[in-house]
Amino acid sequence: MSCTVLIVDDSKLARMSVAKSLRSLHPDWTHLEAANADDALAQVRKHKVDLALLDFNMPGRDGLTLAAELKAIDPSLPLAVVSANHQEEIIRKAQEIGAVFLAKPLTEKVLAEYLSGAASRRNAAAKE
Amino acid sequence: MNDLLQQFLVESRELVAQATDDLLALERTPGDAARFDSAFRAFHTLKGAAGIVDFDAMARALHAAEDALARGRGAPMPPAHVGDYLSCLDQVIQWLDHLEASGAPPADAEARADLLVRRFAEAAATPGDAAGDAADDTEADLWVDGLLAAAGEARAQARTALRLRPAEDCFFRGDDPLAVIETLPGLLVLRLEPAGPWPPRDEIDPFACRLVVLALLSAPEATLASHLHTVHGQMDVVPLSPAGPQDTAPSALPAAARALLEAQLALLSDRGAEAAAGRIASAGRLAENVLRRVGAAAAAEAVARAAAASAAAGDPGPLAAAIRQALAGATQAPAATDAPRAAAMADTARTLRVDVARIDALVKLTGEVTVAKNAVGHIARLAQTGTDLPALAARLKDQHALLARLTDELQSAVLNLRVLPLRHVFQRFPRLVREISADLGKPVRLVTEGEATEADKAVVEAVFEPLLHVVRNALDHGIEPPARRSAAGKPAVATLRLHAARQGERVVIAVADDGGGIDLPRVRRIAAERGVAGAEAVAALSDAEAIDLIFRPGFSTAETVTGLSGRGVGMDAVRAALARMGGSVAVDSRTGHGTTVRFTLPFTVMVTRVMTVEAGGQAFGIPMDAVVETVRVPRGRIVRVGAAAAFTLRERTVPLLSLARELGGPADGTASAEAQVVVIGTDGQIGGFEVDRLGERLDVVLQPMDGILTGMRGIAGTTLLGDGRVLLVLDVQEML
Repeated sequence: MSCTVLIVDDSKLARMSVAKSLRSLHPDWTHLEAANADDALAQVRKHKVDLALLDFNMPGRDGLTLAAELKAIDPSLPLAVVSANHQEEIIRKAQEIGAVFLAKPLTEKVLAEYLSGAASRRNAAAKE
Repeated sequence: MNDLLQQFLVESRELVAQATDDLLALERTPGDAARFDSAFRAFHTLKGAAGIVDFDAMARALHAAEDALARGRGAPMPPAHVGDYLSCLDQVIQWLDHLEASGAPPADAEARADLLVRRFAEAAATPGDAAGDAADDTEADLWVDGLLAAAGEARAQARTALRLRPAEDCFFRGDDPLAVIETLPGLLVLRLEPAGPWPPRDEIDPFACRLVVLALLSAPEATLASHLHTVHGQMDVVPLSPAGPQDTAPSALPAAARALLEAQLALLSDRGAEAAAGRIASAGRLAENVLRRVGAAAAAEAVARAAAASAAAGDPGPLAAAIRQALAGATQAPAATDAPRAAAMADTARTLRVDVARIDALVKLTGEVTVAKNAVGHIARLAQTGTDLPALAARLKDQHALLARLTDELQSAVLNLRVLPLRHVFQRFPRLVREISADLGKPVRLVTEGEATEADKAVVEAVFEPLLHVVRNALDHGIEPPARRSAAGKPAVATLRLHAARQGERVVIAVADDGGGIDLPRVRRIAAERGVAGAEAVAALSDAEAIDLIFRPGFSTAETVTGLSGRGVGMDAVRAALARMGGSVAVDSRTGHGTTVRFTLPFTVMVTRVMTVEAGGQAFGIPMDAVVETVRVPRGRIVRVGAAAAFTLRERTVPLLSLARELGGPADGTASAEAQVVVIGTDGQIGGFEVDRLGERLDVVLQPMDGILTGMRGIAGTTLLGDGRVLLVLDVQEML
């Protein structure tokens, strides 16, 4: 099933890189981009989003805060918080919110594993 | 260059600018938490960006910087650390420049990253860490020995041993320790061992990780750090065979590259064969490409230089020697850093990054032009039927007006493609001013204004050097030492203002200091001493004219040539550089209050307003901004001065040149009773060109001379006339 993935990162380079991996992994999927938490919320309200990848380190509200806000809108939305900082605290908080922690830079392999898991969970949830 | 790399360059430069800004602010107010966070984020994002494009050396250096920043969080930043971080950013800029010019990181990037990593490590060294390491030593040996014993042949290559004890709940944290180990560079041996005795079978928790991961790697320890901090748990990394740090030099070429280079050597040594020049050229190019491909940029440059030398001498010797040296891995230290820099500048001028909106504007205009073309076609068909000519003429006139507007718009849209903000230049100054001011012991506050002002890319790129020179002068000569400033009742911290603004078709960049102003008596004295002008002439000059002395060749007011200003370029070089861009420089000085140097530059260097003239039966263009006036001079008033001629214009003697003769043609036209003269003024010099006829005034897009005509003197460029003829536009400055 085709999915819509929301990529949130203040770095356009990071968004381009994830989008590129995404295109090669799932050419039929679509992606949306947002440069900050507010853009991300606007995208989620406007479009049907199946998956979101959130950068942790962003100006304004960080990825964890955004993850909590997104969960409030759609509790079943699979989320991943992506960061190059591997502090236990961030990882623990991500888990508390119900998001998966992924290390930056996001390699195609890591992304592929995460996406297959998340998409199948999303589909399973949709069928219930 | 792919789009990711393009974006990397754009984004990294922005981040460097942001971080520089923040660091300089932190230097003023070391406890500013918002600035600290911003700087931290910039370093962090830069590190991430480097990771995305696989620029490991840069990622490593920035990781070290970020770690150092993280350690210092919450405390005011010591000024010495600001310098460390700025040096790191400076290195990043150099890497970006190299990457932009050649598409690959420089060969010495790893070594330079090591230096930075060490610098940050030294700044952070605490005795506590060392004690902790020492305690583990004896135990460490055991597992490393076991691993090496099991390694077999791979043992010789092993540089690092690694032991990872993942946290028991690592699977729940989204960790995949094995996947991480798999991504490590140079994995030679991988062993999994139980972390301890296995519990009874019915008590085993299948979701708990009870493994120890042991690995031997051929990569040195320093290159692993950026991979390893993704895993959680206890980790031991032991460097092996520390005796060979020189091995880290990127000397080993891949086998394929080696074979190709050796084949070129064989080709070059084949003295019997014909066409030596062709062989030198092709072997040189291939060797250079091979070396560039494997990232040995320094060696590639050496080969390129040697190939040029070989081609010039017709002797394959230098090239063969350079290839042999590259094979031996003897990459020369990059002593001549200036040369690649200059090459980089030249290269970047040929590629262009363009805002999408500007392309969109072009696409839209193209559409409108097509519509206009169709309308004209329709009118043409109507004209063929020959009906109602006055009505057709009116419609044709309308369409012509429309097309005229569209071509104007199209022209400015195209020129806009070449536009860059001056930020590109200004952003380099905070760090430079900081360094210079520290060297001189003169505290300076730099204020930049109007960074968003745009100018032609060629102008923006060429203006850095002259601007830097003027800024150096301001700091070196203009701004007084703090003590003298205080004595004069001025704030001890001087202010240097860099200001840019668009004024019509011109861009004005001003460098203003609040120093002592230009010491005119001294300028006069020195000008006389150095023979820049005669003593009497100097004395006769008004103050405004005396200031102009600093632009004369051979003038330099520094009594002792300092490392900063005394680089053999004076203000005359600044003036010449600006003239080449079609700009000018002016100085305004108020004794005791400061000096302002103002560059006036064309917004674009492409459109030139020219006057066409005819001489010797050919049409030439003369740039309008050089034309003072046109006069008709009766032959009787032309005086012969030796082989030359001159005439008097408003009590000023003007040398007269025959344009036709100057350009090597026959000097006819003397038959007429009056000479048609175009009076040209540039750089305060004045001269007259006799021409046969004056033509019209045109706006032309000047094409620089290329191919074999590059560097032809006296010609600024060419343009195509409406009737298809080529118009040569004269470089009158060169001719006077």
